[in-house]
This record gives sequence, structure tokens and C-alpha cells, in this order.
Amino acid sequence: MENAERILSKFTTPETIVTHEFMCGKKHGALLVNPDLADSSVVRSVIFSIEHGEGGAPATLDDVAEILFEAETELSDDVDDCVNKLLNGDILLCMEGESEYLVITARSYTTRAVTEPPTETVMRGPREGFIEDLRTNLSLLERRLKTPDLAIEKMQIGRRTKTNVAICYLSSVAAPSVVKKLKRRLEKIDVDGIVDSHYLVPYIEEKPSSLFTQTGLTEKPDIVAAKLLEGRVALIVDGSPMVVTVPFVVIEEFQSGEDYYQRSTYSTFVRILRYLGMLLATLLPGLYVALQNFHYTLIPVRFMITLMTAIKGLPLSPLSETLFVLLLFEIIREASVRMPRAVGMAMSIVGALVLGETAVNAGIISSPAVMITALSSIALFTVPNLIGPTSLLRLAYTLIGGLFGLFGLILAVLFTLHYVCSLNAYDAPYCAPFAPLVYSDFKDSIERAPLPQMKKRPKSIPNNNNATRQA
Amino acid sequence: MQTATTTASRTEAGGAVAQGAHSTNAVETKQATSRQLISIVFILALATKMFLLPISLIQSIGRDAYIALAIGGGIDLITLGLLIATIKLSPDVDFFELLKRAFGKVGAKIFVAFVALFLFFKLNISTTESLTFYSDNVFADFDTSLMIIVLLIFLTAAACHTLRALSRLNELLTPIIILCLALLAAIVVMTGFDLANILPAMRAPKSFAADAARHAAWLGDFTPLLLFIGRTRTKKHTAAFTAASGVIGTATAVFFSIVMCAAFGNVSVLADTSTNLSSILQYSIGNVYGRIDLFSSVLWSISAFIETALFFYATCRCVAFVIGKNSHMPIAVGVCVALYFTQVYAMTDPTVFSLIVTSYAASAITLAFAVGIPTVALVCAVIAHKKDGNGKPASETADTADTAADASGSENAGDNENADGAPQRDGELTATTDAEG
Repeated sequence: MENAERILSKFTTPETIVTHEFMCGKKHGALLVNPDLADSSVVRSVIFSIEHGEGGAPATLDDVAEILFEAETELSDDVDDCVNKLLNGDILLCMEGESEYLVITARSYTTRAVTEPPTETVMRGPREGFIEDLRTNLSLLERRLKTPDLAIEKMQIGRRTKTNVAICYLSSVAAPSVVKKLKRRLEKIDVDGIVDSHYLVPYIEEKPSSLFTQTGLTEKPDIVAAKLLEGRVALIVDGSPMVVTVPFVVIEEFQSGEDYYQRSTYSTFVRILRYLGMLLATLLPGLYVALQNFHYTLIPVRFMITLMTAIKGLPLSPLSETLFVLLLFEIIREASVRMPRAVGMAMSIVGALVLGETAVNAGIISSPAVMITALSSIALFTVPNLIGPTSLLRLAYTLIGGLFGLFGLILAVLFTLHYVCSLNAYDAPYCAPFAPLVYSDFKDSIERAPLPQMKKRPKSIPNNNNATRQA
Repeated sequence: MQTATTTASRTEAGGAVAQGAHSTNAVETKQATSRQLISIVFILALATKMFLLPISLIQSIGRDAYIALAIGGGIDLITLGLLIATIKLSPDVDFFELLKRAFGKVGAKIFVAFVALFLFFKLNISTTESLTFYSDNVFADFDTSLMIIVLLIFLTAAACHTLRALSRLNELLTPIIILCLALLAAIVVMTGFDLANILPAMRAPKSFAADAARHAAWLGDFTPLLLFIGRTRTKKHTAAFTAASGVIGTATAVFFSIVMCAAFGNVSVLADTSTNLSSILQYSIGNVYGRIDLFSSVLWSISAFIETALFFYATCRCVAFVIGKNSHMPIAVGVCVALYFTQVYAMTDPTVFSLIVTSYAASAITLAFAVGIPTVALVCAVIAHKKDGNGKPASETADTADTAADASGSENAGDNENADGAPQRDGELTATTDAEG
């Protein structure tokens, strides 16, 4: 049939599409189905309805649509659009003498169950996590935001993957300029394929080559709902459980969903620990090397004596031994992550006990260097989202501290801070509420004030002149 | 482009709102907020006045050194007043534009060339102060020609970003600097110092005046504030708070200078660049806590780096204006090379240093520039104010800028990005206010 041929000719391997031919009275008809993606029960039901439906054989596509009143149907004469829908699992029905196609929704994908995301486990609070199915993800979000304000704008990105992407925001809360900027950047994307939300991130960030991420990534619908309520915009990508949110400020890295499900005083304490952990993780090895190499007079005498005893007779300089231990840690960590869980455990034991302990006993590295690296590495995991940048900065600071002492270390920190201060993410200053100072936003930065006290939305995040969160 | 958009908004109304009103509450609508201006003034007021200057003053004046510092601080506060008045008077027109309106393009360029020279001179003093502090107090062996490279990298990065980034950095670090100062002050108070050592004051007024006059090169610390003209979102009390910040910063510098004079005033021969405030404290508190005093001094030295970065940034912007180019990296590298050579081959030589910094001629020229530049800026602002009637209150103008940005649908109200998505530099002189819409 000519209509069916027109569609099938678009495919390199047309045999992947199953064609059911049938007679509608005196007219030939054909049903084009993508068997891997279409729901077979819907296909059977459509064929049965057409061949054995009440009122005789349908003469036109409109008649077919009437017969299939239970199904979601639409008429289209755009061949490319029809091919696209067929690839998404919809059924195409064409009839002799008709220029249009009837598109019948029959998508059926295998998805995994909604489970607790492994990257954001909580002791208290919701355990639901996003999955790879866009519809399910949207339903998880819509269940939490039952308001007509919730705008969901869909688009397809990727020449070949035609990935469905949903932009979600609260129209009366999110700043129009942010939504517009995000849409403009998404529309500019001209790429073969988007297979995960991480692929989109560099396209929508202000500085894609930056060491620091300028978009939020989460797997939890409760966090996305809370962020939308603050005026942010979420980007849900079909096939990815990670949802991207913008604007993004650096304090979000130090916040956890669980902070809001426990007592505010304890949450505040935990947040302070995270900031301290971050400082220790990045600066401790560099400071240790700088003090040992150049400024030993800054170390208290008693501590200095202990230190001198520990490092006596070491063949390596403080800089090289600390760099060696740091690199060793990074290698063990990388190997543990990639290994199967059981082997990973063995790797950790080998790394920690055999390599570390033996190297200290053999007098190759000193115990203080191992201790400093261990402390710094544990502190690294207090802010899991920043492990990447922190690891790199730690290495850089150690190198600079060892070569240029405190002078270099302070300038390196200034350099980093200056760079971070220069970042903006969708009209939101990246370092807000610290730089620029936004006092009202301190309630949810280092401190986590009780929810009744957080009457306004964060000022750092642009909103649609709708700052009041609660009366 | 293969992007097909199929909108399925839950509500048409929602979509309409999203496309309609463009009004957001961006927290920054200009390059600097009034809080950032206040914190920068505080840092500029004391940063370099607490390094080499007190020592140099004690060496030449003796125990009246703190009076000379107070007088110098007073003169600087006058220049601060002039600059605050200019910032208030010209909320939307920047320094370079003011000059162009008053003197024409060529006249403005000639004047800015002199300003650039003065800023470069101040940049050198500021850099020398930081390097000397580290070489004499923190390092046993300090190779200036090597170490300065790290500083130059930071300065280049600072010059290649916006004034906003520098203002934010300063705002972020000011609490740390204040904490370190408080710690140093607490140690001073705890250990005690004998104020009797600075009395009686002014026993030889003539020699005092002559020696103090040789230190005018340290005046003009507030000159980088020229860049904040037309780029600061001021509020009702900004001027008062900024002035107060300057006074507190100067008073802090004088306080620490009094401490040093009380310790060294009668035995000024003991004072050299290595026996600074930190060393005095060290002898007082011993080594129980390690060199906590020096450690806090090191942290406090951040303020000197920020001041140096501000001078560097201002120098680069002036050079950019003079040569009419907005490519910041080459200009920054050029200024870096010049700074490297002056630091390594001139400023480290005590004879050259005394000739170009503590000579009467150098002091007279510096004083003229330190007072003259803000005065000219104010006069230009007054002329522009009268000519254009550009005298709307700052808050109003800022609001107007917001509204203009919103009305035009600009996405860059709080951002440094032009329509093409390319970063917009605040050194792009003619487009200074474009970023604000």
C-alpha cells in the first residue's frame, strides 16, 4: 500500500516494523506497529475493533477513530511526525485513498519500580526516587504539586534520539526570565542524541568548562517539588532518573533533603560540620605540607617535636609523600567504585592495610601524612556532590602549598574563591547568600531555621515577584 | 536544528503568565552593592597602612609615628569623602564617561593615562608591602622573582573577570579579615602595652613634619573606588555607612600603629621590617599556641592581596580606556610584565625604593594625584549633573534600571552576559550600564 510504503521507506530496516494489512469494506488498510515498543494488547484490540466492530466496516479514518473511542487517537498528514510517533511506540493506521494517518497511542515501555535512589538515601523522609520513565517521573512530581500553576512544557531534543524533555515550573513563582533563558538554550541544542540528563547539563550551564557544577541534580521528587516552590525550574529527561534544576547556588551542595525532616538545630549542626568538612578536605594536606616545608615555626613546639620524630629518616619530602598518599587514595577510591561490591571491599582492605600500613612500617611514608590524608578524605565525603572538584582542588593546593608555602596557598584559595564568586547561574549569584550578602537567605544556608520562620522564598533565586512563601 | 516543541502546559493561564510579565527580583542590579562598597572601603582603609608604613614611620619619626599615620589617614578620608560624593552624584554614569563628557575623548584619555600611572605606582607599593611581609616574617628564604608569579596569576585572573566578582570576593572575606584583626587586637590587649612610651607627643614638630611628608606615597589608597562610580547600587544611608567604614578602618590602623609606637617608639633603631606587630605579640605570648599571632596576620594579609587586586584591576581598566581596547587578558598580561620588572629589578633595591617612594618629590607628586584625581572626578560629576540633570536618587535609578531591564525582557539584569551569551566585561566602558538593561 502506498501510504504504508511512504512510512516504511524512511527506515533503513523496514522489517523492524510489523505491517498488519486488512480490508475495510472494499478499501485496503494497513496497521504499522513497532512491536518492541507498542502494547500488543492495544494492537490486538484495534484490529479486533476494526474487523469485528459494531456498525460494519469503517469507510474513513474518522470512522475508525470513532470506533476506537477508548483509545487516544489523532490524525496527522506529516510523514516525519508519524515516523517519529511510530518510533515512540504509537500505532499508525492508514487507508487506501486517505492522505492522512491515524495515530493511535499504544506506547508501552518496560520500566523499573519506583525505589529509593542509592545516591540520596535518607533515614527519615520520603523514599521515592525518580526512574527512567518520563511519565512516571511527571506523575511523581504532579502528585506533590497539585496546583494548576504547575506548568509542564515538553520538547524533543536530539536529531536521532528524539529524547522527550519536560520543563517543569510553577508559573506564578518561577521567574519568566529564567524559564525563557532555559528554553532558549535548550532550543539551541543541535546534537545527535541526548541519552541522559547529564548530557544536557553542559548545554544549559553558563560556564560548561567550569570545575563547579552550576545546575542541581537530584533523584528525589520531594526535593524537586521543594525547589520548584522556591522558584526554580526543573528539567526531566526521558530515560534518566536524574532531574536537573536551575538556578543553582553553591549552598545547595551543602544541603540535604533530610535536613528538612529533622530538628532544625541538629540540621544546623550537621550543616556546620559539612562546611568544616569541606575546609578540612581541601586545605588540610596543603596546609600540612606548607607548614612542614616552609613555616615550621608556626607549629606549636610540642607538636613539632612529635612530628619531627615521626618524619625522621623519611626518604621522601613532605610534598612528595603527601602527594603520593593522596594519589594512592584516589586510585584506591576509583578502583573500589568500578569493582564489583565484594571485590571492592577486598580492594579497600588491601589499600588501607597492606599499602598504607606497610608503607609506614617500611619508612617510605610517615604516619602523619597518612593520618592527614585519611582525615581529609573522610571529610571529603561529608559533601558527596563536591567530591570531584574537592579532590582536584586538594591536589592542587597540596602542590602549591609545597612549592610556594602559605603565600601560594592563600593566593590559590583567593584565586578559587574569586572564580567561584564570578559565577552566575540563571541570574542567581553562585555564592549567594554569602557573596553578595543576602541576610534573609541565611535562614536556609549554614543555619536551617524552623520552617515556620522561613516566610519568604530565597531572595538569591529570582522569582516572579512572588516572594512570600507563607503568611 | 531538529528540535520540535510540543507544549503541553497544564494551564494556559500559567503559560501566559510565564510569557507575560518580566519582573524578577535579582539581588544584584549593578556591579557592586552598597554593602560591597562599604566592605571594600574598610579593607582599603587599613590594608597597606598596617604593613610597611608604620615601621617606616617609626624608623624616621620615632614614637610620634602614629600621629603621622593618623594625619595621613585623615587626608585619605577626605579623598574618600570626595569619592563618595561622586558616587552619590553620578549613580549611572561611570568615571570614564564623566571624563569624556567634561574633557572630550582625547582629554579624558590623557587624564586617564596619568591616573593609570598613579595606580600602577600604588600597585607597586601595595605589592611590595605584601611581598615584604612574607619575605621578612613568614619565610626563611623567599625568592621574590619566583614567588611573585603566583601573585601575578591571581591578579591576572582578577583583572579578567568583572568588578562584581572582586566585590563579591571582598564581601565574602571581610568577616574573616575582621576576625583576624579582632584576634590580633585581643592578643594586644591581653598582653598589654605601655602607653607612657608614646608620651610626650610632638617634641620636635619641624622634623616631624619633614619626615612625615616623605611618606605621602602611601596616600591615595581609596583611588580604586573610581571604578565604583556609576556602578554601585546606592541606598539612602550608603554614603554615611561608607564614610563610617573608612573611619573605622583608619582608626584600626592607627590603633595598631599606637601599639607599635608604644613598643618601639623609644628604641626605633630596633624597628625594621621584620620586627612588626606580629613579632611584638610573639615575644609577649611565647610559643604556647605556636605562632597564632603570625597565623592570623597571614590570614589578615588577604586584605592586602585584595587591595593589590583592586589596584591592578583599576590600572588595567584605565589602560584599556587609554588604548581603546577591551581585550582584558593581553592588557592584564602587559601590566603583569611591567609589575614583574618593577618589583624584581627596582622595588627590591632599597636605594631605588627610597628614591621613588620616600623622596620628597615622589611624595609631592603622590599627594597631588591622591587628592587631585577624586577632586577632578567630583568636578566632572557636578558638571554632568548640572548638564544632564542626572541627579535622581540612587535607589530610584536602580529601580529604573531594573524596570528597564524587565520591560525589555533582558535576561541579564543580574548577570554579565550579553544577548549572544558572551560574557560582558564591566571594563567595556561604553556599555557599562547595558548590562543593567
